Amino acid sequence: MAGLNDDAQWIVMMGFVVSFSFFFLAMILNQSTVVGQTTAESVLDFPKNDIRDVRSVIIQSTEVTGSTVDLKNDIIKIAQSRKGAVISYTVTPPTSSDPKTYISIHYNNGVTAYNESWTSP
Amino acid sequence: MVKDDGQLYTIEGVAAGMIMLFTAYLVLGATSVYTPGDTHISDMQIEQTGTDALRMMNTQVNGTSGTSPLHDIIYNNGASGFNGPEFNTLFLNYVNNRTGSETDDLHYSASVTYYDINNRTTESLPLTSNRNLTGGEHPVRVTEWVIVNKQFPGTNLVENRSVLVEVLLWRD
Repeated sequence: MAGLNDDAQWIVMMGFVVSFSFFFLAMILNQSTVVGQTTAESVLDFPKNDIRDVRSVIIQSTEVTGSTVDLKNDIIKIAQSRKGAVISYTVTPPTSSDPKTYISIHYNNGVTAYNESWTSP
Repeated sequence: MVKDDGQLYTIEGVAAGMIMLFTAYLVLGATSVYTPGDTHISDMQIEQTGTDALRMMNTQVNGTSGTSPLHDIIYNNGASGFNGPEFNTLFLNYVNNRTGSETDDLHYSASVTYYDINNRTTESLPLTSNRNLTGGEHPVRVTEWVIVNKQFPGTNLVENRSVLVEVLLWRD
């Protein structure tokens, strides 16, 4: 090492600094694309709209006049075949002493389970 | 005899080379090319737009009591099937409108799914579409439940039934 010329240490050091900063910028860029995709994927995976839809149709079904036996059967069968979700719900209609309607809703598509006890306003 | 001067330069060269290689690897890994596997983000947006449009169609006009436009479209069963043109106008009006004079370019294919009580199967009836599916599209499915007092195949009774309006939605 005797003949080693150690001039220009500053230039060497700045070279290191610049290359390390490139390295970290590249790392940030690398991660940023993954963030948007995983967020969108998890939003799509969660059956938000399915749950809202089925909840709303069940609540609506308490307000129709006439028989709702086949209507309930439709909801359960179609949800099973088209949405891959198992749905079960029971409606407790108002009585003379209690004017409110109570519904308990159970939704399960194998990944997400949702249970709700709904009371009419 | 190998001269061993300049060992430090050699080490430095190796270190710099490794840093450059690793940086290049990271930059190439951060691809910004939009591949078919990366469509989740626009899928999510189209799904939300379509669900909102169907939900609006299944809401009574002006918040009055009565039936929703989507209910009427399914209820009014003419000789040519469901009231398709009305669905077409209403739905495209909701999904394709945007600020400015240029409309969006979403296409759809809609059907109505009901449960056949006699055969114990789930069946679909075509509702309407504004373009045929060719297989090259990448559609998302949006749905809306509708309660309608009507006779569907598989039973003779006119009674309360719930059907699922399914819409395949894609952008060209």
